[in-house]
Amino acid sequence: MRKLCVIAYYTAIESIRNKVFYINLLFALIVIGSSVIFSQISGEVAGRVIMDVSLGAIELFALLIAIFGVTRLVVQEIENKTISVVLSKPIKRSVYLLGKYIGISGIVMLNILIMFMGMLILLFIRGEASGFHSLVLAVSFIYLKMLLIMAIGLFFSLVTSSSLTTITLTFLVWVLGHLTNEINFLSEKMAAPLSSFLIKGIYYIIPNFQYFNFKDFLECSFLFSKTNIFFITIYGVTYSTILIYFSMLLFSRREI
Amino acid sequence: MKIVKVENVSKVYIRKYLCKVQKKVALKGLNLEIAEKQVFGLLGLNGSGKTTTIKLLLGLLFPNKGNLFIFDKKIPNLEIRKKIGYLPEASYFFKYLTAKELLFFYAELSSLTGKEKQKRVDWVLEFVELKEAEKVRLADFSKGMLQRIAMAQALLHNPELLFLDEPTGGLDPVGIKKMRELILRLRDERKTVFFSSHFINEVEKVCNYVGILHKGELKKTLEVPGLNGRLEDIFIQTISE
Repeated sequence: MRKLCVIAYYTAIESIRNKVFYINLLFALIVIGSSVIFSQISGEVAGRVIMDVSLGAIELFALLIAIFGVTRLVVQEIENKTISVVLSKPIKRSVYLLGKYIGISGIVMLNILIMFMGMLILLFIRGEASGFHSLVLAVSFIYLKMLLIMAIGLFFSLVTSSSLTTITLTFLVWVLGHLTNEINFLSEKMAAPLSSFLIKGIYYIIPNFQYFNFKDFLECSFLFSKTNIFFITIYGVTYSTILIYFSMLLFSRREI
Repeated sequence: MKIVKVENVSKVYIRKYLCKVQKKVALKGLNLEIAEKQVFGLLGLNGSGKTTTIKLLLGLLFPNKGNLFIFDKKIPNLEIRKKIGYLPEASYFFKYLTAKELLFFYAELSSLTGKEKQKRVDWVLEFVELKEAEKVRLADFSKGMLQRIAMAQALLHNPELLFLDEPTGGLDPVGIKKMRELILRLRDERKTVFFSSHFINEVEKVCNYVGILHKGELKKTLEVPGLNGRLEDIFIQTISE
């Protein structure tokens, strides 16, 4: 347990000292700040515009940190050989992998929290600070989505051997995960049984990221029921856990 | 007492490029034994299988055939790693950490805690003469300093057995001299050192025994003190056969 925390802590320290972290955050805060400009031309829905632009920015910039962070976890550490010294120490590979995942998760969380604070300050200044509970939920589910995309990235980084392939595949799943309803519709409309079967397979394998999109339904309070929140959380956590478990299995036999 | 045993080990690297499969034989039935308190040098050309042998002994690679034992325990073994120190071929570390932070990190992974951790970190920093640079980030280190910090992390937990993979590779003459002095100090402290290199002079200066590895096969094992400076000739002759 101590070694797990040590790996996570040093991963976070290493990431936080990387310029990319600050550049990403700076761009995110600029985009969030620029939402004020859009709100000027939005009349009565100014607050909503700030929320939409800001939540979109939070998700996009958290996604960048998550995907690039998780790619650095394994692929780049194997490429630049830092991993070989660490794994020559008395540490289980599974502990190393999990520690790294937790470390990057912490950095993504910090990123999201800073961006969220930026958004709240903006809303407060503009006198639009209402619906705090819904906003917290929306941001929490953005984070859960990030945990899942990181688990997917981790899995791909152990299946492939290049950073670019890992990033491309993870991003592809991200896009498909937002189109699962369309994929399902397509599979039902396919005439050829084999194509229909294959597309249906993709529909079942790819996680449905739309479940986590509370940010799109801030006005629909009925969606924020405890049951809904509970099942979506279980869905995200289970999916991530399974992927991390398979990643650990792959990593245990990976040659360094 | 033999503390490292390599029994009939073969290793083949398989690389897949789309439909094309490329195989490269790295080791062919390697047999090797290293006794306690020896400084054993594995001498060979680039690509002869030196790094592969060390990585197999560390459990970073897996053999296709044969077995490897350290302290009579089959590799890979987590407990055995507590007794091993490893200096990699090229010193790549987390460049945003300072020297001291890096050593604290490795100390924790090596199960050192509390005062012992602090004591060992201070000791290795003195040992490799990097005390003044303890707060400098590794991104600002020279190649020689990186190699010394690599040596420091390998010695942190006071291991009984050290694997040094090309410790003088890429260093300038001053760096090579400093590294040689460090290895000689380890020899004086009666540590067991497994040392790979393609620099014959260095092997001759620091090793008790030397093994000549060529194209994945151990061609010869020799006792260095009896060679009287003929190692270069023997090496050239062996790899030409």
